[in-house]
Amino acid sequence: MKKCLLLLVALSLILMFNACGKKAAKIAPAQEPVVERVEEPTTVVEKPVLSEEELFQQKSLEELNKDQILKKINFDFDKYAIREDMKAILQANANWLLKFPTVELLVEGHCDEKGTIEYNIALGEKRAEAAKNYLVSLGLNAAKIKIISYGKSKPLVLGETEESYFQNRRAEFVITKK
Amino acid sequence: MGEKMRICRTVLCLSICLLSWHLPCQEEITIRIKEGMPMIPVAMPEFELSEAAAQKSEIKSTIYETMWKDLEFSRIFKMVPREHYSYIPRFNPRAVNFKDWASIQANILISGQVEITADERIIFSIKVYEVASERFIFGRNFGGKKELSRLIAHKAADEMLKHFGEKPLFTSKIVYVSESGSAKDIYIMDYDGFRPTRITFSSAMDMLPSWSADNEKIIYTSYRNLNPDLFMFDIYTGKTELLSTGGSNYAADWSPAAAQIAFTSSKHGNAEIYLKDMKSGREKRLTFNPTIDTSPCWSPNGREIAFTSQRNGTPQIYIMDAEGSNIRRITTEGSYHDSPAWSPDGMRLAFVSRIENRFDIYVFNLKSNEIIKLTENAGRNENPSWSPDGRHLVFSSNRSGRYQLYLVDYDGRNVRQITAGGENKMPKWQKAPK
Repeated sequence: MKKCLLLLVALSLILMFNACGKKAAKIAPAQEPVVERVEEPTTVVEKPVLSEEELFQQKSLEELNKDQILKKINFDFDKYAIREDMKAILQANANWLLKFPTVELLVEGHCDEKGTIEYNIALGEKRAEAAKNYLVSLGLNAAKIKIISYGKSKPLVLGETEESYFQNRRAEFVITKK
Repeated sequence: MGEKMRICRTVLCLSICLLSWHLPCQEEITIRIKEGMPMIPVAMPEFELSEAAAQKSEIKSTIYETMWKDLEFSRIFKMVPREHYSYIPRFNPRAVNFKDWASIQANILISGQVEITADERIIFSIKVYEVASERFIFGRNFGGKKELSRLIAHKAADEMLKHFGEKPLFTSKIVYVSESGSAKDIYIMDYDGFRPTRITFSSAMDMLPSWSADNEKIIYTSYRNLNPDLFMFDIYTGKTELLSTGGSNYAADWSPAAAQIAFTSSKHGNAEIYLKDMKSGREKRLTFNPTIDTSPCWSPNGREIAFTSQRNGTPQIYIMDAEGSNIRRITTEGSYHDSPAWSPDGMRLAFVSRIENRFDIYVFNLKSNEIIKLTENAGRNENPSWSPDGRHLVFSSNRSGRYQLYLVDYDGRNVRQITAGGENKMPKWQKAPK
C-alpha cells in the first residue's frame, strides 16, 4: 500500500513537471522558431538540351544576331555578283530561315574604302539586293526581307590590306523580328 | 530644339549685325581684272589701334592676320612680304609717302584702323590706295560685336575682291560632315575652317550635305529612319523636312536655274537619277539603266547634268541634258571615276579618279579636253567642291591619317589643311551668290 502511494506521488510529480514544461514552451514560442528544412538536391540536374526551335524562342533578337546564326558573305572588288564560295553560306542561312518563317530580315550592304562615298552607297545596295534575291530564289519570302546600304561608312575592320578590304566588302543579315 | 534655335539666331546675327558703310567724300574707282593677269602686289602695314582700345590688341591682330591670309589666298592679290616694310620708313596713315611703297614693289596699299567702342563693338576702317598714281581708290567702315573679328576681316577682304571686279569669297561657308565617336553630323564653317557650327543632332549617320541655290537650305542624307533618306534643313527657320519617298536617296544637287534638285534614288529598285520639283514635289526620272547611275551635278547654266554611271562596266563620268537625253561620256581612261563637280564658269569638271588604291582629284577642261591632276600621291582625296569664284576647291583627304578637309587652287597649288581633330569629310562650298 505504501509502495502504491509512493508510485502515485511519483507519477503525479512527473505529470506536473511535464505540464510545466509544456506551459513554458507555449509561453515563449519565439525562442524556438520552427525552421523548415529545405532539402538540397542530391544530384546535379543537367541543363536541358534545347532544340533549335526552343533556342530561337528563348533568345532575344540581340542575342540571335550576336550569335551570328546568319553568316555574312563577302564580295569581289567593285562587284555585286554572289561568289561561288558564298553560295553555301547563303544556303545555310536560307535553311535556318526557312525553319522560322516569322523572321523578318534586314540585309545590309557594305563596301570597302577603295570606292567613293556616293558610288559605294549604290554598290552596297546592289550587294544587299543580290543577297536578298539569292535568298528569295532559295524559297524565302521577299516581303520579309528589307535591304539597306551603308556604303563604306561602317567598315568591319580597319586597315589597308587586301584582307581587310575583302572583310569589308560584305552583306550582313540582321534579324529584325522573330 | 533650343540648341537649333540658337544656331539659327547665330547665323542670322552674322547677316544682320554686320554693317558696312562707304566712306564719304572721296571718289571711288573700280578696277577689273582679266583672266591670266598677274597677281596685284598689295602692301598692308600693321593696322592702327585707337588709344582707348590699347588693351584689345589681340582683336586688331586677329583682323589683320585674317585679312592678310584671305588676300594671300585669293590668287588675285600677292602680298608684299612684311620683311620688306623694314627697308622703308614706318607707315604713317596721316602722311602716306607713296614713293616708299613703290620702292618695295607695292601696287596697292591698304591702311587700316581698329577702334573698340565703350560697348565692346569693333569699328574697323580701311582705306585703299593705288601706289603708282598716289590715288585713293576706296574706303569702307565695318562694325560688329567683338566676337566677330574674323568675320569683319573677311568682309573687308571681300570688299577688296569686289573693287577689283570679283565676287565675294571670304564670307562664304563650307558645309561638311564631322565625325566624333560613332555620330556623324552636319556642320557649317567659314571657308578657312574657323567658326564651325553644328546643324544636325542625330545619333544616326547624317551625310552628303549640299547647298540650295540661295544658300539658305542644306539638303543631306540621314539614316535616322533606318534608311538613307533626303532631308532639307532651313538655316533661317531651323526646320527640317523629309524629302524622299522610299529606296535609298542621296547625292542631291540643287539646280542653279530652277527650284528643283537632281538626286540619286533606288525607289524603283536601282540607283537612278531623278529630278524633284521643290514647289510641286513632282518627280521625274532621268536615267533608265540597269547599272548604277549616281552623283548628279548641275552645269552652272542649269541645262546639263554631269553624273557617274557604270553602264559601260566601270564607273565613268557622263554628261546629259537636263531632260535626260543626249548622254555622252567624258572620262575615257582609267577604271574608276566619281564625284563630278562643275566649275562655276562652266568650263571645267573636277572629279575623283582611282588608280590602284589611291584617289586623286583631276580637273577636265571641257573646252580644250585637257586634264590636270590636282592632288599627288597622298592618300585618298575625295569629294571635290569648287569655291564660288572657281579659283579654289575644297576636298577631303586621309593623307595625314584620318579624313580632314583641305583647300587647293584650281591649278593644284597652295594645298592647305583647314580642319583637325575627329574626322571631317564630304565638304560642299557655298554656291556663287546670284
